[in-house]
Amino acid sequence: MKLFKCIGILILSVLSFFAKAQVPAPGEVQSKPIAIMNAYAHLGNGEVIENSVITFENGIITNVADATVIRLDLSNFRVIKAEGMHVYPGLIASNTIIGLEEIAAVRATRDQDETGDFNPNVRALIAYNTDSEIIPTTRFNGVLYAQTTPRGGRISGSSSIMNLDAWNWEDAVLKNDEGIHLNWPSRLRYPRWWLGETEWRENEDYDKQYEEVQIFFKDAASYFEIQNPETTNLKLEAMKGLFDGSKSLYIHTDRAKEIVQSIQFALEMGIEQVVLVGGDEAYYVKDFLKENEIAVILEETLRLPSRTADPVDLPCQLPNLLHQAGIKVAIGQWGEVMQVRNLPFSVGTAAAYGLGKEEALKMVTLNPAQIMGVDDKIGSLEKGKIASLVVSKGDILDMEGNKPEYVFIEGRQVTLEAHQQRLYKKFKDKFDQE
Amino acid sequence: MMRKLLLACLSLWFFSSHAQDTFTVNGVKDERPGLHAFINATLHVDYQTTIENAVLVIQKGEVVASGKGVKVPKGAIVHNLDGKHIYPSFIELSSNIGIPKADRNGSSGPQLGPVKDGAYNANDAIKAYFKAHEAFEANDSDADKMRKAGFGVVLTHNQDGLVRGTGTVVSLHNGPENEIILKESASQHFSFEKGSSTQDNPSSLMGAIALIKQTYLDAQWYKNQNEMVDISLDAFNKNSIYPQFFDADGDKLYVLRADRLGDEFGVQYIIKGNGDEYQRLEEIKATNAQLILPVNYPEAYDVEDPFDALNVSLEEMKHWEMAPENLKLLTENGITYSITSDGLKDASKLPAMLSQSVELGLAEEQALKALTYNPAQFIKMGDKLGALTTGKYANFIITDGSPVRKDTKIYENWVQGNPYKFHDYTLPELAGNYKLTVGSEDYQMEVKGESGKEKFKIVVNDSTSYDVASEISKQLISLSFTDESKDEAGKIRLSGWLKKEGLSGNARMPDGSWAKWSATLEDEDTSVDAEEKEEKEDESKASEMGSLIFPFVAHGNSKKPLEETILIKNATVWTNEAEGILESTDVLLENGKIAKIGKNITSSGAREIDGTGKHLTPGIIDEHSHIAISRGVNEGSEAVTAEVNIEDVVDSEDINIYRQLSGGVVASQLLHGSANPIGGRSAIVKLKWGYSPEEMKISWADKFIKFALGENVKQSNWGERNTVRFPQTRMGVEQVFEDAFTRAREYEEEWEAYNSLSKRDKVNATAPRKDLELETLVEILNSDRFISCHSYVQSEINMLMKVAERYGFRINTFTHILEGYKLADKMKEHGVGGSTFSDWWAYKFEVNDAIPYNAALMHGEGVVTAINSDDAEMGRRLNQEAGKTMKYGGVPVEEALKMVTLNPAKLLHLEDRMGSIKVGKDADVVLWSHEPLSIYAKAEKTIIEGAVFFDRDNQIEKLDAIQAERARLVAKMQGEKSNGKSTQKAKPKSQIIYHCETEIQNYSSLK
Repeated sequence: MKLFKCIGILILSVLSFFAKAQVPAPGEVQSKPIAIMNAYAHLGNGEVIENSVITFENGIITNVADATVIRLDLSNFRVIKAEGMHVYPGLIASNTIIGLEEIAAVRATRDQDETGDFNPNVRALIAYNTDSEIIPTTRFNGVLYAQTTPRGGRISGSSSIMNLDAWNWEDAVLKNDEGIHLNWPSRLRYPRWWLGETEWRENEDYDKQYEEVQIFFKDAASYFEIQNPETTNLKLEAMKGLFDGSKSLYIHTDRAKEIVQSIQFALEMGIEQVVLVGGDEAYYVKDFLKENEIAVILEETLRLPSRTADPVDLPCQLPNLLHQAGIKVAIGQWGEVMQVRNLPFSVGTAAAYGLGKEEALKMVTLNPAQIMGVDDKIGSLEKGKIASLVVSKGDILDMEGNKPEYVFIEGRQVTLEAHQQRLYKKFKDKFDQE
Repeated sequence: MMRKLLLACLSLWFFSSHAQDTFTVNGVKDERPGLHAFINATLHVDYQTTIENAVLVIQKGEVVASGKGVKVPKGAIVHNLDGKHIYPSFIELSSNIGIPKADRNGSSGPQLGPVKDGAYNANDAIKAYFKAHEAFEANDSDADKMRKAGFGVVLTHNQDGLVRGTGTVVSLHNGPENEIILKESASQHFSFEKGSSTQDNPSSLMGAIALIKQTYLDAQWYKNQNEMVDISLDAFNKNSIYPQFFDADGDKLYVLRADRLGDEFGVQYIIKGNGDEYQRLEEIKATNAQLILPVNYPEAYDVEDPFDALNVSLEEMKHWEMAPENLKLLTENGITYSITSDGLKDASKLPAMLSQSVELGLAEEQALKALTYNPAQFIKMGDKLGALTTGKYANFIITDGSPVRKDTKIYENWVQGNPYKFHDYTLPELAGNYKLTVGSEDYQMEVKGESGKEKFKIVVNDSTSYDVASEISKQLISLSFTDESKDEAGKIRLSGWLKKEGLSGNARMPDGSWAKWSATLEDEDTSVDAEEKEEKEDESKASEMGSLIFPFVAHGNSKKPLEETILIKNATVWTNEAEGILESTDVLLENGKIAKIGKNITSSGAREIDGTGKHLTPGIIDEHSHIAISRGVNEGSEAVTAEVNIEDVVDSEDINIYRQLSGGVVASQLLHGSANPIGGRSAIVKLKWGYSPEEMKISWADKFIKFALGENVKQSNWGERNTVRFPQTRMGVEQVFEDAFTRAREYEEEWEAYNSLSKRDKVNATAPRKDLELETLVEILNSDRFISCHSYVQSEINMLMKVAERYGFRINTFTHILEGYKLADKMKEHGVGGSTFSDWWAYKFEVNDAIPYNAALMHGEGVVTAINSDDAEMGRRLNQEAGKTMKYGGVPVEEALKMVTLNPAKLLHLEDRMGSIKVGKDADVVLWSHEPLSIYAKAEKTIIEGAVFFDRDNQIEKLDAIQAERARLVAKMQGEKSNGKSTQKAKPKSQIIYHCETEIQNYSSLK
């Protein structure tokens, strides 16, 4: 009885929280061409234009040029003077649960982990909450797109690419169900620290788990070959895209041996688009990854090395080490959903550890766009791409400089102030008056 | 049951040489003389005295005489031990042999109090009442394993609980308990593991330590009171007359912890260590404790697969190599220890392990001393045990050599004058090459192996030989083989007897005919070549040993960093003082202090560091950290645990210390977690990587304690089972504080009243009970200890300030304080500081109004504001976190830097010596590659008190050294494997990264 009451109160309080804090309305559809003048442009493809002019119309970029060279008639344009500022393509957050989880400790607000082992048919975009309070805090720092991804099980489900300023998930989606996420079994099991263990244990079920995956994929391949199966199988239906090349297989695994084994497996299954997610030990098998042209989505740089003998800053160096090995890398930030907003700083850290700013930026713009097959639309400031961009007062990869002044998604100017800024203003005003 | 067992024993040992007078004999009395004389032996009277050709006479379980020229008494059964050795048998001090295992009988839910029925202690883990000799039941199969390994006597105790009661000394003779208990109560035992107790408290190591301390205080009080009966405390007091043993299971730091605990109460424990004491020799030596040491040296790791080999850490590899050196190094440092077989898969591995140590230079007599003389002394039985002089127990082993060598054979183990025979030393040694003649045929026969286990072979030539089946029984021998050179099928069967220089007898040929056969020894099998080879190998092994590192973890240094005179030239100096930022400035560090700040400073002999283009700041101070803590940051079992102290569990070996240094952190407050309203006391440390826990603690720092509010303390996210412990609401939280401080005030008054009594009145009065929890709270009331309170929501923050005001003190710091911005004005008025996260939120319901502008708003209202980590990862980039206050709320850069340097120094009362670059302050500075709050800034040098603890310039060198050391050890391990030694699979270790919320439920009880 008491328990019910508690849950009741909890639900009520969650509801009241959502009622009180309203996420700002999405930006209005672009009605007038816009020109951003004289900003230092970071194109996302590794190139820069120190003094640029960028124009867009109907949500599409129409010009990206050197302001000292090009002459344009801007009489119809809304002109944004951005001298001394920096402009970037919107950053892309790979492999996040943004929109799926609101408050980590409140179960009712968690929508990322469906029960069952093989759920390729489960679709992240369905639960994507455009009114999540996390979203405004994320785009406030320049992250404008997210690969929203389910968690858990052996196959968690399908991810989609979403823009971070929309009325509903249908408006938000840029590419739906673009990938299937496979959590590859681990040869080792995590120590049960609550029993005082510090040592990993051997996973005695590894072979069995491998086989389960194998059977599932073979059945899926068979289902794909049979043109008109007698009964429809939703799980296998969802897997079809892997075999016709329309979907990517994202393999989540960290250790060297599992990386090799899982990728070998996927290639043997005839899957064309294979992406490694996590890849903590990717460096040890860099040649294998390079040979097979496997792209890697790395976890944030802001984490501890996994071994005592590792260089203290190994995770910071890893993006550059893989880049030097000729591997396409994207950097993600998925430890906690509230941390997605720190993606720029994770990238800034990689920049500081040998990668350089533009190459680092590429790992959250053009590289993930290519990996997810949306580089025709986003990922760089280029004519014909969607006008989703950030104008920041300073270097977006540095804390002091990361001050977006103008943010556009599909040419729509995004409202930056939300719950946190409103609270700030409320109390700042109070203290200022005192 | 007992009686049955007794009968069984009696029937086995009916001729026992002792008389058990109180028992009735079924039949006629059968007491025998039990008089034995062992002659021609090499007698090791004790660990250091060897007498060749000696005689040992025993009677009725005791040594009658021993030495050279001792007369063999008339009627003695004579044992000719020509070529054999007699050693005193070993004494095991760490054992629970014969003690029944305790059951766990608690429920699975929260258990706030004890469940043991009767007038026992308030905590089930205090089992001082347990008497090993009352529970002891002889267990001969366990005893037999020990006897085979050379042990004769064991100190056994109940290995369960923090206080474990008395231990009893028993012999390993298979006799009735009445006879084999040699000393009923010989010891009292302690440990850090609460064992079978299912009571929630203690749930952490520091909780266990606090509970033992409180038990000492309670026992002291108990002596002079007559309010209550507590069987445990009563026993605790009575047991104090015995030697006190502490099982410090864990690592070398646990030995130091046990010793410190004893020091507090004037008790010198005999401490059971962990075999890694060599890693902190200096500190171990300073304890002056006698130790009991395991020799469970790890097996080499299987490193054949390079990926799997990654899973073995450098420290594991090094320990594998150095563990066998432990005893030698301790000996060299004058530390007294005894050796235990505890921790070995079985006791029979003991000689193999000791052999490794002896090969690495441990003197054999030291090993013997640690197995015989020392343990006898530890249990105060030197008069009866540990040597073979007149009057001692007849406890000895008969061997073919030193029992600390791996191939030594123990023929017999005599316990209390009773023989246990494992090998028959009267059997002849047959090994050698023989000429075998069967009828008219001659064969070459090779015999290999020790007596009783010979292998026979017919050798035709170098590549061809065939096996001979053999059976030897006393003086008779039978052999059979098939002569493969003959066409006729069937075996030649020989039966015969042993004679001088060979064998002879009758043979039955395959065709059924009889023949004569004989075998004549041509040359004895000498394996000298093999031995020589081995010795050579051992030499190379010894010369290749790696060196110690401090701490014993990758990135440890071979020498602890030392203070230097350092001149940093031409840097941009962020002073945090009125001078602000000084361009192109020199700073001189001398004697661990900042000596000079200015232009063109020179100092002869100083190490110069070019600071051109670089930035020098005060070292970062983390107000809220949970690194470097052993076994649990939360004693979350009770609402108030002010008795526990992080200072007791500082872990100097945590790699995260080094990682923090790499981010420019010089000092941290190691805080208790947030599982309860009044948590434990903190440790404030400088991150002196390589130094001991005691050296890391800032001795002059004020004392602090952790409080907590909100969801964690009301167990909101602990699952459905945890709805019992008070408080479950924020309303209840306030009452916890009210109650605690009310009790503390009354406690103080009680003591004041007692202390004001005259000397004479004191004699008649009972002193109040000293209570560690209340003592701590009184310190708070008197502003001798300061609160850092985990907090999120404004209502509760306000509440705690009001509680403090009512009791006449101030809260020092609100930590996390994510809604501090909502009442920054009230905080300012109260005088409390705020130590917050830069941008955390959304992880639970109470942080939904957490905003990244919090620091800026609090700072704007004049609250001393710091940014903290609560996280080992974030701790090493606090400069970046401070940088975020510029983005969110526009804090000026110098003020932002202060939030991780000067301001936390103020909050921790360290600002007189730390937090700014000012002449006279501690030389705790960091040289950065860029502006310190930039994402591009890297700490290049982190200096504490003038010693460089982190140097980015030597990272490559350091990593190369790690790699080289690993490569060397991998090669060595592969060598072991190819030599046929068994190896273990490599499994990675994982570290628990503690946060406030890390609640390790009953870390030990669930084991």
